[in-house]
Amino acid sequence: MTKIEAVIQNSKLEAVKTALQEIGVEGMTVLEVRGHGRQKGHTEVYRGREYSVDLIPKTKIEMVLADAMVEKAVQAILGAARTGKIGDGKIFLSRVDEAIRIRNEERGEGAL
Amino acid sequence: MRSKATANRSSWSWRSGVNFFMAASSLIGELRGSINDESARIQREFEATGDGRDCVAQRTRMVEEILARLWRDVISADESKLANLTLVATGGFGRGWLFPFSDIDLLFLYSDRDTEQVFKDPVRRFSQELWDLRLKLSPASRTLAECERYDPSNTEFTISLLDCRYLAGDRDLYRKLHDKVIPKLVMRESKVLLQGLAEVTRERHSKHGMTLYHLEPNLKEAPGGLRDCNVAGWLALISAIDKLRDWPEASSLRAPVRKQLDAALDFLMSARCFLHFRHKRDDNTLSWEAQDAAAAAKIGARDAENLSAAEWMRIYFGHARTVQRTVTQLLEEIPEARSALYRQLQSWRSRLTNADFSVVDGLIFLQQPSSLQDPEVLLRLFHFMAHHGLKLSATTEFRIEQALPALASTPPRGAELWLYLQETLLQPFAADALRSMHSLRLLTLLLPEMQLIDSLVVRDFYHRFTVDEHSFLAIESLHRLKQSQSEWDKRYAELLSELEEPELLYLALLLHDTGKGMPGDNHVVISLDIAERAMDRLDVDPKERAEVLFLIGNHLELSATLRRDIFDPMTVAAFAEKVGTPERLKMLCLLTYADIKAVNPEALTPWKAENVWQLYMAAENYLNRSADQRVHTEVNSEKLMRLRSLAPVAGSKFKTFLEGFPQRYLMMHTAEEVMRHMQMADELATDPVIVELKRGRHWYDLTLVTRDRPALFATLSGVLAAWGMNIVKANAFSNASGVVVDTVHFTDRFRTLELNLSEWARFKNSVVSVLLGEADLEKMLRDRQRSEKGAIAKVRVETKIEFDDSSSSTTTIVQVIAQDRPRLLHRIASCFSRQMCNIEIALIDTEGQMAIDTFYLTSGGLKLNQAHQQKVEKALLEELKAE
Repeated sequence: MTKIEAVIQNSKLEAVKTALQEIGVEGMTVLEVRGHGRQKGHTEVYRGREYSVDLIPKTKIEMVLADAMVEKAVQAILGAARTGKIGDGKIFLSRVDEAIRIRNEERGEGAL
Repeated sequence: MRSKATANRSSWSWRSGVNFFMAASSLIGELRGSINDESARIQREFEATGDGRDCVAQRTRMVEEILARLWRDVISADESKLANLTLVATGGFGRGWLFPFSDIDLLFLYSDRDTEQVFKDPVRRFSQELWDLRLKLSPASRTLAECERYDPSNTEFTISLLDCRYLAGDRDLYRKLHDKVIPKLVMRESKVLLQGLAEVTRERHSKHGMTLYHLEPNLKEAPGGLRDCNVAGWLALISAIDKLRDWPEASSLRAPVRKQLDAALDFLMSARCFLHFRHKRDDNTLSWEAQDAAAAAKIGARDAENLSAAEWMRIYFGHARTVQRTVTQLLEEIPEARSALYRQLQSWRSRLTNADFSVVDGLIFLQQPSSLQDPEVLLRLFHFMAHHGLKLSATTEFRIEQALPALASTPPRGAELWLYLQETLLQPFAADALRSMHSLRLLTLLLPEMQLIDSLVVRDFYHRFTVDEHSFLAIESLHRLKQSQSEWDKRYAELLSELEEPELLYLALLLHDTGKGMPGDNHVVISLDIAERAMDRLDVDPKERAEVLFLIGNHLELSATLRRDIFDPMTVAAFAEKVGTPERLKMLCLLTYADIKAVNPEALTPWKAENVWQLYMAAENYLNRSADQRVHTEVNSEKLMRLRSLAPVAGSKFKTFLEGFPQRYLMMHTAEEVMRHMQMADELATDPVIVELKRGRHWYDLTLVTRDRPALFATLSGVLAAWGMNIVKANAFSNASGVVVDTVHFTDRFRTLELNLSEWARFKNSVVSVLLGEADLEKMLRDRQRSEKGAIAKVRVETKIEFDDSSSSTTTIVQVIAQDRPRLLHRIASCFSRQMCNIEIALIDTEGQMAIDTFYLTSGGLKLNQAHQQKVEKALLEELKAE
């Protein structure tokens, strides 16, 4: 089982969700986050005062999938989230030891 | 509220013929069997009759039997021989209300500590057997002396004693508890006890957002639920025991109150039994699925026609409202429940008494009970409420309910109603007044539109509250901004204080979701329709109406834009153009803030608040920097079409006048105003300078129409300064043929115009003659300066000058932030003039002590080059440093 964490532009959330649903991904967690990679921050001058944002608001999606699904999901995210500009985000994959469904204690890939 | 379970045991058929001395294990087996049978029977009967009260009574009897059997078997076969140990039912069980999956509240009462030791093992075995029977106990063990002490950290235990009932064991011990210990305790500690109960109740209420209007309410814990019913009973009981020095004979609540509460209880008890049987555990949340099922089964509403879930929930909310009102009134009326400090506060508040109303102990009473025949008094009452944040006394509420039918036949309407409504909406406690009006059915009388969203449950994963409560909460969120300490809230609070007509924002919030009460997909469009009708009835003037409709129609725009890239200039531009003016932008920003905040307590995360603010700033800056997008009369916008319809014979004059004005000019003025300007422009041949003066709500409004010439704006601001006027906002626009329309909002610092009517004409003539070059402006300014010597403003706002060379293709934009002071604008404009700059467009704004002035400059018809910009900046800083 693999955990996929993707940090994406806020404006791409709907597109990524739709793309994932289309390939059969049924569960995900969405978080409101802040951060930056190489994308520069943003400064707005309002009434003579500078408002600097160096941690830019982004959206993070997390999901744990059976290994067979992972590459399809990654491709779906890439396709939906990409704009080609700096600030598009990143995808991280990591190994998951176990998954357990709380309702009936089912374990393993069946719990996903 | 205490109903003693009857001792009718004959309903159990197996009881006869059973040998008392059966072995324990087979006893358990037998008891388990009969519990299952009896429980199933009770459930079947409930499903047939839907009678909650009966269900809990039957279950109570069943458990009593079990306890009695086990007691005889485990503790003592002969009651008369047992001394010093009693089994007492407390809490819900004591009341005789045992819900299908509720805990069973038991008290093991000992005469002293030694007895506890003696019976330790049997009691433990007793409890064990009950657990084996899967009867969930909530047991307590106390000596008689311990019961007499009140522990403030465990108010719940003492309260549970109020419902005590004998089950088994030493009767004398029980009588001591019931007849002596409890009354003594209550009389001694009534003040503290009531306070404790009030505190625990308020804590519970605040866990549920202080409102009963949840979309999926917990009917035990939420305000207006079963717990609150109990609280009402306890409050009344404690007061009664305190007064009578003994248990009261009958219920201590007044008859009409008791009747209403009983009706509510019937409903709530049936609903809770239904939930327990459905979920097979102590789950008291009316989830949407449960609401559907309850409505289908007509729980608590046996005689109703087919009920939808929303209709069933309305019945629930009706009962919950009654319960909540009763509890609130009782909490208020019991004087011991308040500390000395509170009473001091209340006596200060009673100084608020006026001719119409008196304030006693923080509650509003009518001076003249019959005064409500005059609808105006009623409206003033709620204004009073909203202003001071006080509650109505029970008597006042009763009188209002009495007055409503007469009012319904000729309800107040029109401009006068709007006036009262406006004023009420602006008060700091407006939301509470609205809630009170709503629960008394007065709000729906004045604004029938509110009926659509009354207690309306709309199924939505984000919204926590019913639609009407959501709207009141949104209004409350804005008022609360003034007291908030958080950094974010302070920014929004500042914005709120800058609004020219905040009542329009509040009205928009009140009506923005009314469309949800009608079938259809797009509630925004429906809300617009409803709002138009409402404002028709309130006779709201067209300019204000347009603002409210804009807000309602676009109330989701800002949120929608947040889902795009807010740092992308195109996104900002598109959004800003949709909004059009800075005032609308501010209102929309605050409306979005309030709307999100009222969805549920966590909805407005700092992440969201920051994004809303970012978008606001970016849009505000865009609006400031894009004012030079010109009108082109070939393009058919809505406004242009309206203008054309107003002036069908104007023909080419229309085209000539409008061509070249910035879009902003059209956005800031109504079609009627533009017509007037066009007429004024027409007369320029005979009258080269035309000035009009009006008294506006906050300021004086001066409109100047003339032909452009060098230093025009500097001269205009100069003559105003010479008259001691303080320019607050201004816009200077010109069209392609050199006609200038300047509008200035100013305050009259020395009340010249207010105190002397003749000064109006003199002032206008002065402006004209200065502009015609016929008067000596410099002398006028010197005279003014002499008379004002010594009035030096403390500099708190730092001067900041920012040049923007990229936003406009034809001009250089300069934004000046500076400490507001007399003649500021004149000095800035004159400085530009001396530096050979022409002001194409001026957007002048003042917020508090800060002047925020944006100028679109050209020199020789072109943008300013770098060197020139630096020169201007230097000169301006010098100019603004002096003094």
